Amino acid sequence: MKTKIKELRKQNKLSQEELALAVGTTRQTITSIETGKYVASLPLAYKIAHYFNLTIEEVFDLSEYSNEKELLK
Amino acid sequence: MKNYKKSITFRICGLSFMVLVAAILGIFDVFFASVKIKTSTVFGFQCGLTLGLAISALPLIIRYKKALRSEEKLQLLFNKENDERMKVIKSKAGMPMLLITSSVMIIMAIIIGYFNITVFYTLVAAVLFQLLAACIVKFVYMRLI
Repeated sequence: MKTKIKELRKQNKLSQEELALAVGTTRQTITSIETGKYVASLPLAYKIAHYFNLTIEEVFDLSEYSNEKELLK
Repeated sequence: MKNYKKSITFRICGLSFMVLVAAILGIFDVFFASVKIKTSTVFGFQCGLTLGLAISALPLIIRYKKALRSEEKLQLLFNKENDERMKVIKSKAGMPMLLITSSVMIIMAIIIGYFNITVFYTLVAAVLFQLLAACIVKFVYMRLI
Protein backbone atom coordinates (compact mmCIF):
# COMPACT_ATOMS: atom_id res chain seq x y z
CA MET A 1 0.00 0.00 0.00
CA LYS A 2 1.28 3.48 -0.92
CA THR A 3 1.54 6.02 1.88
CA LYS A 4 2.56 9.64 2.34
CA ILE A 5 4.33 8.96 5.63
CA LYS A 6 7.81 9.60 4.24
CA GLU A 7 6.81 12.95 2.75
CA LEU A 8 4.99 13.96 5.91
CA ARG A 9 7.97 12.98 8.00
CA LYS A 10 10.28 15.07 5.86
CA GLN A 11 7.90 18.03 6.01
CA ASN A 12 7.83 17.82 9.79
CA LYS A 13 11.59 17.03 10.02
CA LEU A 14 10.96 13.79 11.84
CA SER A 15 13.08 10.68 11.90
CA GLN A 16 11.54 7.22 11.63
CA GLU A 17 12.55 6.56 15.20
CA GLU A 18 10.84 9.69 16.51
CA LEU A 19 7.64 8.86 14.66
CA ALA A 20 7.80 5.26 15.87
CA LEU A 21 8.18 6.39 19.47
CA ALA A 22 5.29 8.82 19.11
CA VAL A 23 2.86 6.27 17.68
CA GLY A 24 4.02 3.36 19.86
CA THR A 25 5.75 1.13 17.37
CA THR A 26 9.29 0.39 16.14
CA ARG A 27 11.45 2.02 13.48
CA GLN A 28 11.42 -1.22 11.47
CA THR A 29 7.62 -1.17 11.28
CA ILE A 30 7.63 2.43 10.06
CA THR A 31 10.22 1.44 7.40
CA SER A 32 8.05 -1.50 6.29
CA ILE A 33 4.94 0.68 6.09
CA GLU A 34 6.79 3.36 4.11
CA THR A 35 8.17 0.85 1.63
CA GLY A 36 4.75 -0.76 1.27
CA LYS A 37 5.90 -4.15 2.56
CA TYR A 38 3.57 -4.06 5.53
CA VAL A 39 -0.01 -2.77 5.78
CA ALA A 40 -0.59 -1.03 9.09
CA SER A 41 -3.49 -2.09 11.27
CA LEU A 42 -6.43 0.29 11.66
CA PRO A 43 -5.36 1.49 15.15
CA LEU A 44 -1.79 2.17 13.99
CA ALA A 45 -2.99 3.88 10.79
CA TYR A 46 -5.27 6.05 12.92
CA LYS A 47 -2.40 6.91 15.31
CA ILE A 48 -0.12 7.90 12.43
CA ALA A 49 -2.80 9.98 10.72
CA HIS A 50 -3.80 11.59 14.02
CA TYR A 51 -0.16 12.44 14.74
CA PHE A 52 0.00 14.48 11.52
CA ASN A 53 -3.50 15.93 12.12
CA LEU A 54 -4.80 14.24 8.99
CA THR A 55 -7.34 11.56 8.16
CA ILE A 56 -6.37 7.96 7.33
CA GLU A 57 -7.39 8.49 3.69
CA GLU A 58 -5.05 11.47 3.45
CA VAL A 59 -2.05 9.47 4.67
CA PHE A 60 -2.76 6.06 3.17
CA ASP A 61 -3.65 5.46 -0.45
CA LEU A 62 -6.74 3.27 -0.26
CA SER A 63 -7.57 3.45 -3.98
CA GLU A 64 -6.57 -0.18 -4.60
CA TYR A 65 -9.23 -1.25 -2.09
CA SER A 66 -11.93 0.95 -3.59
CA ASN A 67 -11.13 -0.55 -7.01
CA GLU A 68 -11.51 -4.01 -5.54
CA LYS A 69 -14.89 -3.00 -4.19
CA GLU A 70 -15.98 -1.86 -7.63
CA LEU A 71 -14.85 -5.15 -9.14
CA LEU A 72 -16.99 -7.05 -6.67
CA LYS A 73 -20.16 -5.13 -7.71
CA MET B 1 2.64 1.69 31.68
CA LYS B 2 2.20 1.03 35.40
CA ASN B 3 1.02 -2.51 34.65
CA TYR B 4 3.97 -2.98 32.31
CA LYS B 5 6.35 -1.90 35.08
CA LYS B 6 4.77 -4.53 37.32
CA SER B 7 5.14 -7.12 34.58
CA ILE B 8 8.83 -6.22 34.15
CA THR B 9 9.42 -6.52 37.92
CA PHE B 10 7.69 -9.91 37.87
CA ARG B 11 9.88 -11.02 34.97
CA ILE B 12 13.04 -9.92 36.81
CA CYS B 13 11.93 -12.06 39.80
CA GLY B 14 11.26 -15.05 37.54
CA LEU B 15 14.58 -14.76 35.75
CA SER B 16 16.45 -14.32 39.06
CA PHE B 17 14.73 -17.49 40.30
CA MET B 18 15.97 -19.31 37.20
CA VAL B 19 19.54 -18.13 37.86
CA LEU B 20 19.18 -19.36 41.46
CA VAL B 21 17.94 -22.78 40.30
CA ALA B 22 20.92 -23.02 37.93
CA ALA B 23 23.29 -22.14 40.76
CA ILE B 24 21.70 -24.75 43.06
CA LEU B 25 21.88 -27.40 40.33
CA GLY B 26 25.52 -26.47 39.69
CA ILE B 27 26.41 -26.74 43.40
CA PHE B 28 24.57 -30.09 43.60
CA ASP B 29 26.40 -31.33 40.53
CA VAL B 30 29.86 -30.35 41.84
CA PHE B 31 29.60 -31.27 45.54
CA PHE B 32 26.73 -33.68 46.19
CA ALA B 33 25.91 -35.69 43.06
CA SER B 34 26.95 -39.33 43.00
CA VAL B 35 29.16 -40.64 40.22
CA LYS B 36 26.17 -42.43 38.68
CA ILE B 37 24.21 -39.16 38.41
CA LYS B 38 27.26 -37.19 37.27
CA THR B 39 27.87 -39.56 34.35
CA SER B 40 24.19 -39.53 33.35
CA THR B 41 23.59 -37.91 29.95
CA VAL B 42 20.16 -36.62 30.98
CA PHE B 43 21.48 -34.94 34.14
CA GLY B 44 24.31 -33.38 32.14
CA PHE B 45 21.78 -32.09 29.63
CA GLN B 46 19.57 -30.81 32.44
CA CYS B 47 22.48 -28.93 34.05
CA GLY B 48 23.69 -27.59 30.70
CA LEU B 49 20.21 -26.42 29.72
CA THR B 50 19.63 -24.69 33.07
CA LEU B 51 23.06 -23.08 32.92
CA GLY B 52 22.44 -21.92 29.34
CA LEU B 53 19.07 -20.46 30.31
CA ALA B 54 20.62 -18.74 33.34
CA ILE B 55 23.41 -17.23 31.25
CA SER B 56 20.91 -15.96 28.67
CA ALA B 57 18.74 -14.62 31.52
CA LEU B 58 21.49 -12.36 32.87
CA PRO B 59 21.53 -9.83 29.97
CA LEU B 60 17.72 -9.79 30.08
CA ILE B 61 17.76 -8.97 33.82
CA ILE B 62 20.25 -6.14 33.15
CA ARG B 63 18.12 -4.82 30.25
CA TYR B 64 14.93 -4.90 32.35
CA LYS B 65 16.63 -3.17 35.29
CA LYS B 66 17.96 -0.43 32.99
CA ALA B 67 14.48 -0.01 31.49
CA LEU B 68 12.94 0.37 34.94
CA ARG B 69 15.33 3.23 35.69
CA SER B 70 14.61 5.21 32.51
CA GLU B 71 11.10 6.11 31.33
CA GLU B 72 12.24 6.44 27.70
CA LYS B 73 13.92 3.03 27.65
CA LEU B 74 10.80 1.51 29.20
CA GLN B 75 8.67 3.06 26.46
CA LEU B 76 11.05 1.73 23.80
CA LEU B 77 10.96 -1.74 25.31
CA PHE B 78 7.16 -1.60 25.50
CA ASN B 79 6.94 -0.51 21.87
CA LYS B 80 9.32 -3.27 20.81
CA GLU B 81 7.39 -5.95 22.66
CA ASN B 82 4.00 -4.74 21.44
CA ASP B 83 5.06 -4.03 17.88
CA GLU B 84 2.23 -5.25 15.65
CA ARG B 85 4.53 -6.21 12.75
CA MET B 86 6.60 -8.47 15.00
CA LYS B 87 3.40 -9.95 16.40
CA VAL B 88 2.32 -10.88 12.86
CA ILE B 89 5.75 -12.38 12.10
CA LYS B 90 5.78 -14.33 15.35
CA SER B 91 2.29 -15.67 14.79
CA LYS B 92 3.31 -16.81 11.29
CA ALA B 93 6.29 -18.61 12.85
CA GLY B 94 3.93 -20.41 15.23
CA MET B 95 4.70 -18.45 18.38
CA PRO B 96 3.92 -18.62 21.24
CA MET B 97 2.38 -22.11 20.92
CA LEU B 98 5.62 -23.55 19.54
CA LEU B 99 7.57 -22.30 22.57
CA ILE B 100 4.99 -23.83 24.91
CA THR B 101 5.05 -27.22 23.16
CA SER B 102 8.87 -27.11 22.99
CA SER B 103 9.12 -26.41 26.74
CA VAL B 104 6.68 -29.24 27.53
CA MET B 105 8.57 -31.59 25.22
CA ILE B 106 11.92 -30.71 26.87
CA ILE B 107 10.48 -31.31 30.37
CA MET B 108 9.00 -34.62 29.19
CA ALA B 109 12.31 -35.56 27.54
CA ILE B 110 14.22 -34.95 30.79
CA ILE B 111 11.74 -37.02 32.83
CA ILE B 112 11.52 -39.86 30.29
CA GLY B 113 15.29 -39.69 29.72
CA TYR B 114 15.95 -41.24 33.12
CA PHE B 115 14.07 -44.36 31.92
CA ASN B 116 14.68 -44.50 28.17
CA ILE B 117 17.54 -42.63 26.50
CA THR B 118 16.27 -43.22 22.92
CA VAL B 119 13.01 -41.37 23.64
CA PHE B 120 15.06 -38.58 25.21
CA TYR B 121 17.21 -38.13 22.10
CA THR B 122 14.15 -38.31 19.82
CA LEU B 123 12.26 -35.65 21.78
CA VAL B 124 15.28 -33.33 21.98
CA ALA B 125 15.87 -33.73 18.23
CA ALA B 126 12.19 -32.96 17.54
CA VAL B 127 12.35 -29.83 19.70
CA LEU B 128 15.55 -28.64 18.03
CA PHE B 129 14.03 -29.22 14.60
CA GLN B 130 10.82 -27.36 15.34
CA LEU B 131 12.67 -24.43 16.91
CA LEU B 132 15.06 -24.25 13.96
CA ALA B 133 12.14 -24.34 11.51
CA ALA B 134 10.39 -21.57 13.46
CA CYS B 135 13.57 -19.45 13.43
CA ILE B 136 13.95 -19.87 9.67
CA VAL B 137 10.29 -18.95 9.06
CA LYS B 138 10.68 -15.92 11.35
CA PHE B 139 13.75 -14.64 9.51
CA VAL B 140 12.13 -15.20 6.12
CA TYR B 141 9.05 -13.20 7.16
CA MET B 142 11.23 -10.50 8.74
CA ARG B 143 12.68 -9.92 5.29
CA LEU B 144 9.34 -10.19 3.51
CA ILE B 145 7.27 -7.84 5.68
